[in-house]
Amino acid sequence: MKNRLNKFLFDFSVLSIFRRGSKNIFIFFVFTLLIFLLSSILFISNSIKSELDITINSLPDITVQRLQAGRAINMPLSRVNRLLAIDGVKAVIPRVWGYYYFANAGVNFSVVGIDQFEDQYRDLYTKLCDKFNFDRLKIDSGMLIGSGIDKILKNNFYQGYFNFVKPDGSLIKVKIDGIFNGDTKLESSDIIVMPSKKVREIFGMKPDEAVDFVIKIANPSEIPNIASKITQLYPDSRVITKEDLKISYQNLFDYKGGLFLALFVISAFTFFMIIYDKASGVSSDEKREIGILKAVGWTIDDILKEKFYEAFIISFVSFITALCLSIFYVYFLNAPLLKNIFIGYSSLKPEFDLPFCFDFQTFSIIFFLTVPIYIAATIIPSWRVASMDADEVMR
Amino acid sequence: MLLTPEIITILALDFIFLFFGIIAFFISIKIVKFWNLNSTSNLQYKLEKQSFLVATIIKYIFIVKLPLFLFFIFTADKLSDVITGAMCGAGVVNSVSFGSAMFFYKILNLYIFGFWLVLHHFDLKNENQPYTKYKFWLYIVGFIFLLIEIYLEIDFFTSLDVSKLVSCCGTLFSAASTSSFSFIFTINKLYFVYLFYAVFTLLILSYILKNSWMILGLNIVYVFISIISLIIFFGTYIYQLPTHHCPFCMLQKDYDYIGYVLYITLYIGTFYGVSGAIMSILEKNKEKFYYNVSIVFNIIYALIVSAYPITYYIKNGVWL
Repeated sequence: MKNRLNKFLFDFSVLSIFRRGSKNIFIFFVFTLLIFLLSSILFISNSIKSELDITINSLPDITVQRLQAGRAINMPLSRVNRLLAIDGVKAVIPRVWGYYYFANAGVNFSVVGIDQFEDQYRDLYTKLCDKFNFDRLKIDSGMLIGSGIDKILKNNFYQGYFNFVKPDGSLIKVKIDGIFNGDTKLESSDIIVMPSKKVREIFGMKPDEAVDFVIKIANPSEIPNIASKITQLYPDSRVITKEDLKISYQNLFDYKGGLFLALFVISAFTFFMIIYDKASGVSSDEKREIGILKAVGWTIDDILKEKFYEAFIISFVSFITALCLSIFYVYFLNAPLLKNIFIGYSSLKPEFDLPFCFDFQTFSIIFFLTVPIYIAATIIPSWRVASMDADEVMR
Repeated sequence: MLLTPEIITILALDFIFLFFGIIAFFISIKIVKFWNLNSTSNLQYKLEKQSFLVATIIKYIFIVKLPLFLFFIFTADKLSDVITGAMCGAGVVNSVSFGSAMFFYKILNLYIFGFWLVLHHFDLKNENQPYTKYKFWLYIVGFIFLLIEIYLEIDFFTSLDVSKLVSCCGTLFSAASTSSFSFIFTINKLYFVYLFYAVFTLLILSYILKNSWMILGLNIVYVFISIISLIIFFGTYIYQLPTHHCPFCMLQKDYDYIGYVLYITLYIGTFYGVSGAIMSILEKNKEKFYYNVSIVFNIIYALIVSAYPITYYIKNGVWL
């Protein structure tokens, strides 16, 4: 079973591809385009996932919400002490935050309230606290905004301030005291940070309430245990652990990538038919060539091998070309158009760069879905050509 | 049912295998029934041409299946992040009752399809094509196994459930588990070590004696004893943990993907040993090339697994 690569046969295949240039170029382009689309989608999905992973890792161990009639409502601050009494809980931090809908631009801002000397649940906020003095912001009525928001506000002619509309219809003018950038743009682009008191005022929340609690736990392996204790203590609460979030994100992105892939499989099989058809339509020139080859002593096996080399060269070259193109498209051009499939339109379309992330697994998915399918499509037509009788085709 | 890109990829390729497998299956039946090399009929002429199609299809399936098998293991490993309780591929595969059976068929098919190609190679070398009928019989059997494998695989992927709790490898591979192989954990593990080295020594001896029957038998025994001793004894040194018996975790990054190296060398070594031995018996001619490949890879395997306990002993001065 020594299947050595026959160099002369390989050369012959390359020359044969060029001899039928126009036909092969068409196939090459369509195939490259298909692979390009597929790999771009998978690359985008992957790098957004890796960006989210960074975000999730910086998230708290446990988030507790309170549910009423299946919807999340505000938490009374009085619960903090009971939760702190659970063994293994390092800190309970009430969060004050919400979405502010800015109708002019049709986007939601995430408004987050933090206080200077509190334990912060996100590294980003700790950094902000070091850099800016929130006690001062409280007095000056100022806020810090993410870079994406800055852009939106400038487009809407807000220079240095923004008017929030309170639930009762009155306006609050808040100064912009600074613009910040987070580790990842996805997490910081649409955030407005200001003192908690201001946030409560904007959203009309009572001073003894928080939106939800964030719980820090000293020993990560105790998370599931503590989560179940919280549910026992407050049966109306929804407890979300970091692990839950990770799994649901993974599922979401697998689902989105998978949905696209399901569509891709359909187009791949359509392409399969095209290749099959193209490869079956043998010109009289080609027939003569096969006839001559057989007459000079080529066996069916040799011709099949030559055809296999041809199919492999075309598909592999398109594969590599498409891969290079999509790496350029996704990581250098930042995937215009296609990115929107994943980030959606409803939120504050955050402007972010896709971090470079290339794993072997994506590479093999793309490979398995393209090169073997192409070669499979050529099996039967090549065999048909190869098994033609020499005398018949040369006549 | 999970709709991850990996699963869609594997299923799409399964359908291609199925499509071509069925074509090859019908041609094989015709060939087995009507093949007669001495006949000059139209039918025989047609069959001779079609046998090339079958050969191409089988080559295709085998060549794609080899990397796809590794990809399957990789996928199972990745799914263990999503499935509750699973920490490596073992938990995912065993989340359904027929998981081990599916694995067994997958490996068996790799041997059968590989051996088919060897038989084909020898068949074409001889102008009388003495093995044609055998090889198509072999394909018919292999196709039935392939059908079982694909059926189990589809069933496996559709019954995967994210919310279902599965066991992790720590409980699957222990004496306390109720699985079919748990009884081996109750036997003194040193017996398996002795057995492994005994079989290995006999195997080397058989290569020196060039006794084909011995090589054939011992290679088959070697596969099983290698995997069992890997689970029972050598694996614990790879993990440096006396209680961790898992054939899957070693495929993960934490152990430098050493599992892939081990399984691939074991497969190559025993595959060349078995097919070389069978061909030597059929051809009545010692297939040196096959034996040489086999002996080299079997020795590499034994060296790698032995290196783990020895380096552990040198570093720590005690056995696990």
